[in-house]
Amino acid sequence: MNPSIPPSTAEYGGDEVSAIVLDPGFSTTRAGFAGEDTPKSLIPTYYGRYSSDGQSKLVFGDDIFVTPRPGLSIHNPMGRDGIVEDWDMAEKVWEYAFTSRLTGPKPGNPLQNGLNDVPEGELSTEMEGVETEEKLLADSPLLMSEPGWNPTKSREKTIELAMEKWGTPAFYLARNGVLSAFAAGKASALVIDIGASNISVTPVHDGMILKRGVQHSPLGGDYISSQIRALFKSNAPQPITITPHYLISSKTAVDAGQPPQAKYKTFAPDRAPDASYRTLLEERTLSEFKECVVQVWPGPNKLSATGPNGVSNEELAKSSPGRPFEFPDGYNQVFGVDRYKVVESLFDAKAAIPDPESAFPAPTPAQTVPELIKNALNGVDVDIRPHLLANVVVTGASSLLYGFTDRLNQELMQMFPGPRVRISAPGNTAERKFGSWIGGSILASLGTFHQMWISKKEFDEHGPNIVEKRCK
Amino acid sequence: MAAADVRDMLDLPAEGQPRPHKKQKVVEKRPEGITRELYALLGERAPPIAINENRYKGRPKWTSKKRVQPWRMTPFINSARSDGLVLRHWQRQHESAKVPALEGSEMDVDEKKEDNADASTSDNVPQQDSIFAKYNIKARVPNRYTDEEYNRHLKNDDWTRQETDYLMDLVEEYDLRWVVIADRYDYQPHSVDGDSNNTSALVPAKQYRTMEQMKSRYYFIAASMLALEHPPSEMSEAEFELHEKMLKFDADRERSRKELAALQLNRTADEVREESVLLEELKRITANEQDFITERRELYSRLEVPISVGNTTMYQSSQGLSQLLQTLLQADKSKKRRSILGPEGGAAPSPAGATPAPNAPSSARDSRADTPNATPAAAPTNKKAAAAAAAAAAAANKEAQQQAVRTLTPAEEAKYGVQHHDRLAPGVQFRSDRAQKLTQAKSNVQTQKLAAALAELEVPLRLVMPTERVCRDFEKLIHSVNLLLEARKVSEKVESEIRVLEAAKEEREKKAKEALEKDGKPEVKSEQQEDQPLPAAAEESAGDAEGQEKGATDESGEKAGGAGAGEEGDGPSHKRSASVLSNASDKSTKRQRK
Repeated sequence: MNPSIPPSTAEYGGDEVSAIVLDPGFSTTRAGFAGEDTPKSLIPTYYGRYSSDGQSKLVFGDDIFVTPRPGLSIHNPMGRDGIVEDWDMAEKVWEYAFTSRLTGPKPGNPLQNGLNDVPEGELSTEMEGVETEEKLLADSPLLMSEPGWNPTKSREKTIELAMEKWGTPAFYLARNGVLSAFAAGKASALVIDIGASNISVTPVHDGMILKRGVQHSPLGGDYISSQIRALFKSNAPQPITITPHYLISSKTAVDAGQPPQAKYKTFAPDRAPDASYRTLLEERTLSEFKECVVQVWPGPNKLSATGPNGVSNEELAKSSPGRPFEFPDGYNQVFGVDRYKVVESLFDAKAAIPDPESAFPAPTPAQTVPELIKNALNGVDVDIRPHLLANVVVTGASSLLYGFTDRLNQELMQMFPGPRVRISAPGNTAERKFGSWIGGSILASLGTFHQMWISKKEFDEHGPNIVEKRCK
Repeated sequence: MAAADVRDMLDLPAEGQPRPHKKQKVVEKRPEGITRELYALLGERAPPIAINENRYKGRPKWTSKKRVQPWRMTPFINSARSDGLVLRHWQRQHESAKVPALEGSEMDVDEKKEDNADASTSDNVPQQDSIFAKYNIKARVPNRYTDEEYNRHLKNDDWTRQETDYLMDLVEEYDLRWVVIADRYDYQPHSVDGDSNNTSALVPAKQYRTMEQMKSRYYFIAASMLALEHPPSEMSEAEFELHEKMLKFDADRERSRKELAALQLNRTADEVREESVLLEELKRITANEQDFITERRELYSRLEVPISVGNTTMYQSSQGLSQLLQTLLQADKSKKRRSILGPEGGAAPSPAGATPAPNAPSSARDSRADTPNATPAAAPTNKKAAAAAAAAAAAANKEAQQQAVRTLTPAEEAKYGVQHHDRLAPGVQFRSDRAQKLTQAKSNVQTQKLAAALAELEVPLRLVMPTERVCRDFEKLIHSVNLLLEARKVSEKVESEIRVLEAAKEEREKKAKEALEKDGKPEVKSEQQEDQPLPAAAEESAGDAEGQEKGATDESGEKAGGAGAGEEGDGPSHKRSASVLSNASDKSTKRQRK
C-alpha cells in the first residue's frame, strides 16, 4: 500500500475524526481511539483509596495491584449489574482511562501547578478573567458503551458527564451488545456476553437491540471465582487457602498435595492493607486458575448426565488427565473432575457447588446460559429467530474458558435441533475480550456514523433527555 | 511374471496400461541479454555458469516532480445533520487546481473552493460537506392525515387517534423495521388524557399489540392515504400494486403463519431426524428411479436390434466357437494389440493373420485348414460329440445335484428356476428367440394373420418377460392360435363350397324346374350330394396339422369358421378357392369311396 495515497473512502467507508471510544465494564475499563484494533488504555475499574498524612488519596489503574499501602481499600464504582453506582468515582476512573494513555493530562492552571509561585498578595487580578483550563475531551468526540438494561436516569447522567464535565463536542451512547455484533461484522446477531459480573444475551436486529429479548444474570466470571473458592474450601486432602503473592516472602517447592512451605510476610495491624485488597489479589490468582485449569464439560450432555454407552459423563471426565496448578505459596495439586464442576452451573443450575458463605446465592435454572438464550429468543419475533440462531456472537473475557463455545454449541443444537446454529466466536483473545470496544472503534470511525453524534449544541437545546431519543 | 499374466489370471482387460507419456521437451527460456544466435550455439544444455548478472534496482523513477502534498486536519460538516456539527479529519491538501484528482470529484470541487479561501478562514468556516451525507436515506412513509381525513376515512373502534399517531411516529422513527417497532411499542393511553383524577377510572387495561395488529393498522392507513392522494384509477402501476398489496394484508393469516413457523422452530430432535431421514429416502428413491429408467431403456434398445437369424448356427458347435475364437484372435493380431491369450496364443501364428476383420468367416476357414491342432475335435462327428458331451454334462449335473448337500423340492426348483432336461439341444440359444420363432409361420400371409390374432388378444408379439412359464404358455397359445387359424381357413373353404353347391343346386333346380315343366323329376338325389363334402374337407385340413386332435378341431373349427365367414365378405378369392375346393372335394369323395 502506498502511504502517500489515501485509500479511497468508498473502499472502507471510514472517516476518522479522532473520536475516543470508552467501554466501561465491571472488571476493566477499555478506552482508545476509534479506528484502532485494540484499546490503547486498559485499566481495572477497581480503584484504591488510602489515607496518608491525614489526606485521603486515590490509586487508579494497574497501580492498585502493586503496593500494599497501609489501609488501602479497593472499591468499584460500578454495581454488580453493570450499572454505575458511584458517579463521582466512575468519572475519575474513566478520566484516568483517557488521560493515562490517550490525551495526556491537560496542563493545569499555571497559577496552581506549582511552577509559578507568586508571593502572597501579589496575585494579579487580571489573570482571574482568563478562561479556566481547557476541558478534558474538548477536541474528541466520545462514544461510550452501556449495557442493554441501562436505565434512563443513568444514561442521562452519562451524557451530562461527557458534555458538561469533559466538554466533548459530540457524544454517543451505544449498547455493548450492538457493538459486539458490529465487531463480528454482523448487523443482526444474538450476542452472548460472558463478563466478569454478568452474563447477558442480547438480540440485535439491524443494529438495534430488541429490548424485550435482553436477558442478563449474575453468573459471570466473579461467580465462577466464588465457585472455585467453594471448591477450595471442600478440597479433599485439606482445604486450600489462597495466599496472594504480596504475602509471600519466599517459598520452596513441595510435592503435589503436600502442605506449602513458605515464609510469609506479615503486616502490623496498622500498616496492613484492607481486606478488600487481599480479595482483589486473590482474584488475580483465581483468574490465573481459570485460565490454566478450569474447563467446561464439552457436552453433548450435562456433566451429571449419562453418556450414550452407559458411562456417566462424570466418569468420563474423571478418566481424562488432570491439570496441575501451583498456588503462590508453593502448594500444588492436580485437579481432575473438579475443574469441570466449577463451571457446570453456568449450564446446569443443579450442579452448583453449595457455599453458604458465598456472596452469590445459589443460581436458579432461569439464570443459566441456555435458559437465558431461550428466554431471549422467546422475547423476539418468531421470524427472526432462525436468523439470530445462525448468527450467535460470543464475546466477553469469561467466554474464553476452555471448551465454552463447544458446550454452548451443543446446548443450542439440543435446544433447537431444527434451525441451523452457527456460533461466531473470534479465536483471538483480544478480539474476544474487547469485542464491544472493537465494535465501537469500527462504528465511530465510519463516515456514515457522523450524522448520529449528539452534538453539544443539541444537548444544550434539548437537555440530557436527547440521549433517549437519539441513542435508540 | 509379467503384469499381462496377472491380468490374464484375474480376467482383467488387457488394455489398462496406458503408454508412458512422451517426455515433454522443456523449452528453456532464453535469458535476457543474450542474442538468439549465441543462445542457439549453447545447445540444449545451458552452461553451469550464471549468465544473468545481478543488478541493483536502481533509483525509483518519480512519476512527477511535484511538491509533496501535505495532509491537514480540516474541519468539515455533514449536511445530514441539522445542527451543523463541525468535526475534523485529516485531509490531503491540494496545491493547485491542476493537480489530478485522486479522490471523488465531489470532494475535489469542495476543496478547490476551500483553496481559494484563506487558509486561516478555512479553519474556522468549514465548507466541505462529508461525502457520506448522501447515505442519509429515510424510508418512505405515507403523508400524515389531517383531522378531517382521519375522522372520515380512518376511524377504527380498536385504535384511538392517539395510539394511531403513536404507531405512525414509531414507524417513521424506525424506518418500517417491524421487528424493532413491535419490540419498542409501549403505548401509555392515559398519558394523553392528562388529568390524573380520571386515570384510575379511564385507563383501559393496557392491551398488548401484536405485530400483526400494528401492521394491519398501518397498511390500512397507508393504503387509504395513498388512495386519497391519487384515486386508484389514476395511480401508476407501482403505486397501484403497492396499494393492492397493503389492502390485502391479512392479519389472521399472518398470525397462523407465525404459529406454524414457531412450531417448525420448536421441533424435537426426533422429528428433525425423521424429516431428514425421509428426505434422504426420497432422494435415494428418485435417484434409483432414474437409474432404473435408464437401464430399462438400454435393455429395450438392445432388444430392438433385429435378431440375426442367418449364421448363428455355425457358431453353435464347439468347433464353430473355436473358429470364431481364431478369427477374433487373427483380427486382434492384425490390429497389433496385445493378444487376448497372451504369449501362448501368439505362438500359433498363421499366414492368414493379416486378413482384416470383415471377411472373417472365410479367413477362419483358412486358418482352420492351416492349424488343425487348434480344433482337436473331428469335423464330421462334431455335432454328435457335442450332443453327447452335453448329455454327459447334464447327467453329471444331475449327479452333482443329487450329491449336493440337499435335494430341492419341486417348489424350490420352481423358485430357483432349476430344470431337468432329458435331451438338450447343442449350443446356446435364447428362450425368447425360441418363442419368437413360433410367431414366424411359413408363409408371410400366415405370419401376418398370426400377428393380427395376437394383437386382437392384446398379447405382444415380443414377450415382455420371457420366463420359462411364460414361454411355455406362449407356445401353447401360439399353437392353439395356429389351430384356430387353420380351422377358420377350413370353415371358410366349406362355407364357400356350400355356397357354390347351393348355387349349383339352384341352377340345377332351375334346370330341373325347366325340365319338370318339361318332364317333372323328383329332387331327392341332389340333397344327398350336398351332405357329403363337409366332413371330408375337415378331415383333409386336419390331416395337414395334427392327427390326434381331430375331434377338437372339428368343433372349434366350425365356430371359428362361422365367425370368420361372418366377418369377411365374399370376394373373388372365395370364388377361386371355391373352385379349388370343389376339385379337392371331388378328390376326397373319391378317396372316401375307395
